[in-house]
Amino acid sequence: MEQEPLNEFEQELRQALERRPAPPGLKRKIMAERGRLHTERLRSRTVIWQRLAASLALVAVVGGGVAWREREQERKGEEARRQVMIALRITGHALNTVKTQLAGHHRGDGE
Amino acid sequence: MAHEWQPDFEQLVDEHQSMVFSLAARMTGDRGLAEEVAQDVFLELDRHLRRMESPSHVCFWLRRVTMSRSTDALRRRRVRCTDLWIEIEERHGASGEEKESPLGARLEQMLATLPEPQRAALILRYQEDLTPEEIAATLDAPLATVKSQLQRGLKLLRAKAQSQLKQFVRVKR
Repeated sequence: MEQEPLNEFEQELRQALERRPAPPGLKRKIMAERGRLHTERLRSRTVIWQRLAASLALVAVVGGGVAWREREQERKGEEARRQVMIALRITGHALNTVKTQLAGHHRGDGE
Repeated sequence: MAHEWQPDFEQLVDEHQSMVFSLAARMTGDRGLAEEVAQDVFLELDRHLRRMESPSHVCFWLRRVTMSRSTDALRRRRVRCTDLWIEIEERHGASGEEKESPLGARLEQMLATLPEPQRAALILRYQEDLTPEEIAATLDAPLATVKSQLQRGLKLLRAKAQSQLKQFVRVKR
C-alpha cells in the first residue's frame, strides 16, 4: 500500500524531468567559441614556433661566432708558433756560423 | 583498436546538447548559467576529444563533467536553494514551448529546493534513467551514499508534494 503511490510518484517525477530542448543558439555559440579558441591556439602555436626558430637562429649565430673565434685564436697561435720556430732556426743557424768562425780563429791563433 | 571510433564534434553537440543543458539547468536553476556551463563542458570535450573511446564513454564523460561544472558554477554564484524554484519558473519553465503538466512543473520546482547532492542523484536517476551504480560512478561517490541520497531525496520530495500539491494527493487517493 505504501509502495504504490511512490511508484506513481516516481513516474510523475520521471515525466517532469524529461530532457528539455537546448536553446536554439547554443550550438552556434559553442561552434563559434570553438573556432575562436582554435584560431587562438593556432596563433599561439605559431608564435611559439617563431620564438623557437628565433632562439635557434640566435644560438647558431652565437655558437658560430664562438667557434670562429676559437678557430681564429688557434690559427693565430699556430702562426706565432711557426714564426718562433723560424726565429729559433735562424738564431741557431747564426750561432752555428759564429761558432764556426770562432773555431777558425782559435785554430789560427794556435798555429 | 580502441581508437577506431572517430568522434565528430559537431554531431556530438547535436546529440547531447539537450542532455547537457537539461542537467545544468536543473542543477543550477538558472538558464543563462546553464548555457554557460553547457558551452564550457562542450569546449572541454573538444580539448579531450582524442581521449574519447566510444559514444557511451562520451555520454558518461559529459554527464560527469556537467554535474561537476554545474556544482562549481552554483557555488561560485552562491545561488540559494530557496530562490531556485523562482528562477526556474521565471527563466526555465516559462518558455512557450513547454508541454509539461502543471504538476510536473511544480515537482521540478520542488526538486530545486532539495539539497544539492540529493538533487544531483534524483536528476540523474529520473532524467537520465541511470541506475544507482551508474550514478555513483558519474558522481564519483560511494554506492551506499548515492542510495541513501536517492531515498532521502525522494522521501523529502514526496513529503513536499503531499503537503503542497493537494491535487496530486487527491488524484493518488
